[in-house]
Amino acid sequence: MDFIATSVGTFGYPTSPGKKRHAWLSAAGLLAVAVALPMLASPASAEKLTIWSGWPDLVPFYKRVGDQLKAKYPDLDISVEAIALREHEKRLALSLPSGAAGDVIEMEVEAARYLEAGLIPEPPASIVEFVKANYDMTRVKTATYEGKIYGVPLFQGQGALFYNTDTFAKAGLNSPPKTMADYTAYAQKLVQRDTSGAPTVSGWSLRLSGGGSGIAEKYWTILYNFGGTLLEEKGGKWRAAYANEAGRNALKQYLDNVVTYRTVSPEMKADAEAFELGQTAMFIRESWVIGDIAKKAPNLKYATAPLPKGTLMVPVDLYVPNKGPKSQIAWDFVQKANEPENLLWLLENTAWVPNRKGLDYSAVLGKIPQLGAFVNTPADHVFFTVPAISPASEILTRLAARLEKAFTDKSLAGNDAGIDAFLKSAAEESDKILAREDLLAKP
Amino acid sequence: MRSKPKWLFPVLALLPVLGLYACLRIYPIAETLRLSLFKWNIISRRKPFVGLDNFVELMSDPLFLEAIFNTTIVAFGVLVITIPVGLALAALINGRQGLRRSGFYETSIFLPHVVSLVPAAMAWKWIFDARLGPLNALIGWFGIPAQAWLFDPALSLVCLIVLCSWQSIGYAVLIFLVGLKNVPEALYEAARLDGASALQAFRYVAIPLLRPVMLYVSVITLISSYNIYAQAFVLASDVQGAPGHLVRVLVLDMLENSFRNYRVGYAAAEAVVLLVIVLVLTGAQFRLFRDRSRA
Repeated sequence: MDFIATSVGTFGYPTSPGKKRHAWLSAAGLLAVAVALPMLASPASAEKLTIWSGWPDLVPFYKRVGDQLKAKYPDLDISVEAIALREHEKRLALSLPSGAAGDVIEMEVEAARYLEAGLIPEPPASIVEFVKANYDMTRVKTATYEGKIYGVPLFQGQGALFYNTDTFAKAGLNSPPKTMADYTAYAQKLVQRDTSGAPTVSGWSLRLSGGGSGIAEKYWTILYNFGGTLLEEKGGKWRAAYANEAGRNALKQYLDNVVTYRTVSPEMKADAEAFELGQTAMFIRESWVIGDIAKKAPNLKYATAPLPKGTLMVPVDLYVPNKGPKSQIAWDFVQKANEPENLLWLLENTAWVPNRKGLDYSAVLGKIPQLGAFVNTPADHVFFTVPAISPASEILTRLAARLEKAFTDKSLAGNDAGIDAFLKSAAEESDKILAREDLLAKP
Repeated sequence: MRSKPKWLFPVLALLPVLGLYACLRIYPIAETLRLSLFKWNIISRRKPFVGLDNFVELMSDPLFLEAIFNTTIVAFGVLVITIPVGLALAALINGRQGLRRSGFYETSIFLPHVVSLVPAAMAWKWIFDARLGPLNALIGWFGIPAQAWLFDPALSLVCLIVLCSWQSIGYAVLIFLVGLKNVPEALYEAARLDGASALQAFRYVAIPLLRPVMLYVSVITLISSYNIYAQAFVLASDVQGAPGHLVRVLVLDMLENSFRNYRVGYAAAEAVVLLVIVLVLTGAQFRLFRDRSRA
């Protein structure tokens, strides 16, 4: 302590040359100690692996994988940095071009942009072989660019129907709806109203508001089950494909439920929260809701069912964005995360559906039968996904902004011509975005 | 011996600050202006010069036009509420100076300005809740039917104005109080001797003298209101996808174009438009509030 007080205390005062030299030497010595201390505190062999996730509910999973990896790398320090998905997307946009991203990162379809820009290095050959051997290649599309595999699929978001079995029984319904027409008919039977006729428990909770692309993704799912799709590919280019009968039927279904039959209203609680509170009889959502219900409404009696034709599937893949000495550890982490035992743990504890094929789900299904609608889908059930093109998000966001207004537009209820005009205008905007990016297919 | 020019020392003394200002303020603005002329995708290697194309596209972009409309309504709504209410509250508090609880009034009015924005917005979200919110319960006592505050496009704008005004009034009151305390007592005395009532003294003595303060408060309020983002975002968001109507404001649209659509050049063009709007409005306010006695 004396040393510090003396040397620091001499600064700023007239001193003899010898004293001055002594002070500078002392300061230099202090600085050297300060720099060396952290290095001494941690062994040179310690490695820190940073995992960037957009799903905070996956933190325990990644920590578990990290703990297992310590058998191979005893000094490994795993840091899981999980934030909300939209924020995660922003940090990727800022960090990938500058090479400052985490060691292992999650990406959805937006990976296409980074692969196209050459910002993600190719994995080792062993990883490519691992992916080819263990995954259905239709699920690896988003991690593939120009025929080369860049990432490893981990899990996927896919929709199914959640329905409250008590509410169904009260309404005399003993099975889930089979066709899209059934959905509206069921919603009419399931809705509960107050004395003024306003719904208090929605028959079918639809995504009607909120920013971002979610509204358009939900619309797309209903559109698909009416036999349509949002974007169609022709010769490597794309075109809006919803200004037609299927698009009209899908939008009509929203208008029927919101405006005509009022089985749901925008100001009602919606989505998983409403379902957990018993304020909606049914809704379409991804499998994570099962884990959420287990935590927040463990006594809720509910079941799940696959959608009539197919569902939007959003795969989440793992990438290693940085080359260097740590990349091998990072790929080991990715591979460890995809071991069957860990994937089954993931399914059981978070309800996210793994992408790897050949997994035996029977033990998990015995405990959580509601997962059946997600992992045991009928053979003809179709999984479609958002195309891996750069303007996909913009197309969905802009369509969502239009749809939000249309869902409550009374002038469109029962007005096919009005609906067609709305869809035509929205599709023109989608095509304009595709044309701007030189991705518009010829009609 | 030639003496050093007098301006040398002040210039040298100011140089570090000016340098910092140039780096942190001037350079980003210049860079934004430059980016607005390019098709500048955040990750694309090709970033071609497109001239004014981004601005031309903006003029027919319905989301941008909606954002600019909403932002303008909110900004002027907040201004129209903040200035008179802030001035009235400041006058009331100033009249109670030295009396009991005057400090309490000052603190309670200023408190919303320092409360963290997100929890405050969450609290207001609960107040505006269509089914469980106290606001609907309150208007129900007067026989007014419950309103979908956060879902109706017009009402959600009103909610945003109320929230932003609640936050900005505290600051306005504080600045107006400083201004009121600087009005010489002798002028009030003279007005009283001339037979002016307290209200007349405030109207004809205090308000003219407060013009520079009003200019400052109105400029700050308008600029900060044009830059709102978090309030709109929190009022409409929910982790489980049970959100409200998202009031599209300019900053939110810019963020979406930058980080979701990766169109940084296009978002920069929006920022330039915002800059021009704020500059024009600030100029207009300077003109409106200028001290005519000096003309």
